[in-house]
Amino acid sequence: MKRSELSEFAVEEEGFKLKIRRGGSGAPLVSSSRGSNSDFPVNESVLAAQPVTSSTATSPAPAGPAKEEEGIIYVKSPMVGTFYRAASPESKAFAETGTKVTETSLVCIIEAMKIMNEIQAEIKGTVVEALVENGQPVEYGQRLFKVKQG
Amino acid sequence: MIQKILIANRGEIALRIVRACRELGIKTLAVYSEADVQSLHVQLADEAICIGGPKSADSYLRADRIISAAEIADVDAIHPGYGFLSENAKFAEQCESCNIKFIGPKSKSIKMMGDKAVAKDTVKKAGVPIVPGSDGPVENETEAVKVARKIGYPVIIKAVAGGGGRGMRIAHNDISFAKEYHVARNEAEKAFGNGAVYIERYIEKPRHIEFQILADSHGKVLHLGERDCSVQRRHQKLIEESPSPFLTSDLRKKMGKAAIRAAEAAAYENAGTIEFLVDAKGNFYFIEMNTRIQVEHPVTEECTGIDLIKQQILIANGEKLSFDQGDIKFEKHAIECRINAEDPARNFAPSPGTIGLYYAPGGHGVRVDSHAYSGYVIPSHYDSMIGKLICFGTTRKVALERTYRALSEYIIRGIKTTIPLQKAIMSDPVFIEGKATTAYMEDFMSRTPPDLFS
Repeated sequence: MKRSELSEFAVEEEGFKLKIRRGGSGAPLVSSSRGSNSDFPVNESVLAAQPVTSSTATSPAPAGPAKEEEGIIYVKSPMVGTFYRAASPESKAFAETGTKVTETSLVCIIEAMKIMNEIQAEIKGTVVEALVENGQPVEYGQRLFKVKQG
Repeated sequence: MIQKILIANRGEIALRIVRACRELGIKTLAVYSEADVQSLHVQLADEAICIGGPKSADSYLRADRIISAAEIADVDAIHPGYGFLSENAKFAEQCESCNIKFIGPKSKSIKMMGDKAVAKDTVKKAGVPIVPGSDGPVENETEAVKVARKIGYPVIIKAVAGGGGRGMRIAHNDISFAKEYHVARNEAEKAFGNGAVYIERYIEKPRHIEFQILADSHGKVLHLGERDCSVQRRHQKLIEESPSPFLTSDLRKKMGKAAIRAAEAAAYENAGTIEFLVDAKGNFYFIEMNTRIQVEHPVTEECTGIDLIKQQILIANGEKLSFDQGDIKFEKHAIECRINAEDPARNFAPSPGTIGLYYAPGGHGVRVDSHAYSGYVIPSHYDSMIGKLICFGTTRKVALERTYRALSEYIIRGIKTTIPLQKAIMSDPVFIEGKATTAYMEDFMSRTPPDLFS
């Protein structure tokens, strides 16, 4: 980055977004977000050589667009564990794109310490897409499904 | 071989553990609450998993989520730090049953020393002095007087159902004892619905002196000297130092041996601390054992040169302690000031908020253990300690002057801190002469005008 005249560089592909911007003192500030191909939910931003000021604080939720779209809400993980889309490898997924959900609809299973926890949507609307792949680990507060409200 | 450690804590101790792991080539996993996303250790750890909302009860105390995180991230060990789940025997047991190494003692040692009555009984059998007292409540005045005479005046009469300093009366002789005994019983009955009382020796203006223990899983138990933590406000430590300006080398030897006996009686492994009260005559009494690493561990590290967090990890890895009691030297005098986000001029009201400019002191003999940085937002959900300043030198005089110098350089804008108070204490003749007991802070605050420490 230092050799070029570039002060900002962004790459966006399906499921992957990388943005590098030169900070005030010339040290690069890197932020990357990995979509559903991540093995592991990692904290999104990496602290550069200089301390972070509150104006450059990044949002806590990994994956998902930076701007909030209108009418879009998310099903978030209430626990730490492994995400499964169906009751078993042979079963149909609980929620697909287009599935209508209510507050009590079962949308997925999160396995924590050998216990299969049934996760309810807790919101009303139509599923736009699943944001985590089957069998991936999830953390508390992680966005699982993108839902169009209504 | 431990290759990845989950740090089940936050703030400066989590940062401390990340640093030790880095130097040992061990990978780190930080678990954090939504209030700690911008925390320094979360950014520096190799991996990070959010385990809950801002409240401790919804995150750092959630043993289930922590163990779940440990499993999905495939960690070998969990370091619990201090506070939170560090002395939770059940959590240690859960780790044991999930085949994750708990970096600390066995759960049974935590359980034993966690029960104050069992702890006292255990160490008493090992020949460690405890505060003399009636073993349990006294039945009537006749028995009570007998017990008081046996213990030796002055005595303190305490309500069995009491607490928080209530329901306590002090008696200095037989005559006043009769009166105080009845007053205590009546007060206890009225306040707690239970008039039962027990008697203990009253230790006037004791010093709080604790001994650091390191024990490996091969039976070796060592002590790394003492820390004098007498400067406390409402039982919260503010300043700690090693060596204690009060102990003679003879008393140190005696207490050190007693501390080792206490740890052996608990079948202890890993790092721990034995707390004693010491009176003006040099009589010492066991009060409790802390079965975890402590906030003030850096004082011992700078005094002896031994890295306690690394030793904890090595011990958890099954390794033998590579040194003996005779190898431990107390080469430096170290003083630690706990930097709290509090306003000493307004009764220590907490001062959370955003740190503006942050500049930590440095130079020869200055160590800062802090997770703070310019722009850091101190969350309001946790304790107010934002860092520790540890200064050390060849003599106590050097350490005192260095602490004063470092506190003068320390800039933390935007919030109130205890820095001005600790500076004032460094200039106070009573503290300089090494005469501080646990009664010191109250006395100091009462004779010092508030504008001197704001």
